[in-house]
Amino acid sequence: MNSLKTNKIMTAAEAVRRFVFDGAIIGMGGQTIGRCAMAFIHEIVRQKKKDLTLVGCNLGMNMDILVGAGLVKRTECGTGNLERFGTAFSWRRAVEGGSVENEDYSHLAMVTRFLAGEMGVPFMPIRSLLGTDILAKKSAGTGKKYEIIPNPWDPQDRVVLLPALQPDVSIMHVQKADEEGNLIIEGFLTHEPEMIRASKAVIVSCEEIIPAEEVRRYPERTTIPYVYVHALVLQPWGAHPTSVYRYYMHDIDHLREYQRCAREGGAAYADYLDKYIYSCANFEEYLEKVGGWRKYQKLRQEMMKMV
Amino acid sequence: MAINYKPDELMIIESARHINDGEIVFAGTGLPLVAAMYAQKTHAPHMCFVIETGPIAPQVLPVPTSVSDPKGMHRAAKLGTLREVLGCLLQRGLVDVGFLGGAQIDQFANINSTVIGDYQRPKIRFPGSGGANDIASHAKRILIICRHEKRRFPEKCAYITSPGYLSGPEGRKEAGLKNAYPDITVVTDLAVMAVDKKTGKLQVIKLMPGVTLERVQENTGFPVNSLPNLSNVALPTEEDLRILREEVDPDGEYLGKED
Repeated sequence: MNSLKTNKIMTAAEAVRRFVFDGAIIGMGGQTIGRCAMAFIHEIVRQKKKDLTLVGCNLGMNMDILVGAGLVKRTECGTGNLERFGTAFSWRRAVEGGSVENEDYSHLAMVTRFLAGEMGVPFMPIRSLLGTDILAKKSAGTGKKYEIIPNPWDPQDRVVLLPALQPDVSIMHVQKADEEGNLIIEGFLTHEPEMIRASKAVIVSCEEIIPAEEVRRYPERTTIPYVYVHALVLQPWGAHPTSVYRYYMHDIDHLREYQRCAREGGAAYADYLDKYIYSCANFEEYLEKVGGWRKYQKLRQEMMKMV
Repeated sequence: MAINYKPDELMIIESARHINDGEIVFAGTGLPLVAAMYAQKTHAPHMCFVIETGPIAPQVLPVPTSVSDPKGMHRAAKLGTLREVLGCLLQRGLVDVGFLGGAQIDQFANINSTVIGDYQRPKIRFPGSGGANDIASHAKRILIICRHEKRRFPEKCAYITSPGYLSGPEGRKEAGLKNAYPDITVVTDLAVMAVDKKTGKLQVIKLMPGVTLERVQENTGFPVNSLPNLSNVALPTEEDLRILREEVDPDGEYLGKED
């Protein structure tokens, strides 16, 4: 599937149809308001893939939309919010109301679980979580959450073992990729390298496709080689309204508009999904609705002041 | 001439005074990020900022709204991974100061940022730990900034997300935390509190100018202990306030617009 022989370039609709299934455990790329795979999120909503389990570190609007669309049964993460833009309202309501089950970890705990997953070992030790309710409490659907063991070489020392996590499919948005599926990620990397390498499938949208020759000349710049990548979608501005380092800033106006609708819920939220997702055939139509080329240029100029 | 400042402004400035130049500071989102920026622009220009998405030693631009905001990546020495900063730097024990906020802080300086009510069907769901549990577990020193309200300072947190002294002076040791006796300081808009290592409990060590111990007690959900001779937090200078207002948060993203 992910060999050099396979043509991996396809549309977001095809990538979601082929690699995201009902009941899947989805690894969520990006963090909070940075580089989230929004084109795939919209496509999952349009295709109504359901009973999903979302895993990641700081899950933001990407997770909140899937929860708000009623497609999520469980989340496992370090945080659910949009930081300065407020709480993840759909998620918060769903967890308080019992329709979504959440299991809490710290961010290092989540990345430690991905680390075990990518190394092909069943668990990994960590020194965090000791003494706290992150260990003491768990949701109904969680089996054995952890084990505390003495360090075999120094029995006075204790560590927490956490189980490996291998998502069925991770959804990512990156700056650059070549047609083979080699990925170049710029800026922060958060939990992504470990999560990608732990995943059974990885689907990626990118700002631009670069020549394979460029990757082969400077292979030390490759963040993730093609062997982990199953589908590649060319989708400029594919993380909107979240930011992409060196390309464009997050769209404050749209984040606030989303948060107004999510806070209100009900009809206001249904209208948001209708206007921006269900009534759009693809992500391009959505990008036109949020301001098109003019808005893109503005956010791009804002980013150029930063880098 | 009297200096005009808001309590939040002095809270930020005072918390920044607890950072020394050259230290490695792991700053959480929100007010910790703002206060650490202020420290970097004033007395701690060689401070090494660490942010959980991966930035190491950035010159943070005013003013990030998120740990993933590109403003927090500006002129970094390295944009690394979450495992690199929370694992290699923090868990290994290389971070001098862990700087956190919190929804609730109890008498043992434990932090709740997860739930109020039953875990499985919470009355209120907060965002969760993020990197806060890791920071409170492993930083050599822990600095907490939080507005002083009774509901934020309960006797016992409904859920312990991030460890303070857990249940007493030996609480961290008994739980197996390697960093068993860290300094923990809480800076609020009313006072500065620090954990008394004999009891594992917070005690007031300084008061904000014009604030009485009675007022701190009225706004705290547990009996407030204090040092015998309480001094006042030093007033900010005009220059301190100018830097905070014009260079750290010029658009009033965190400090709010002028009334």
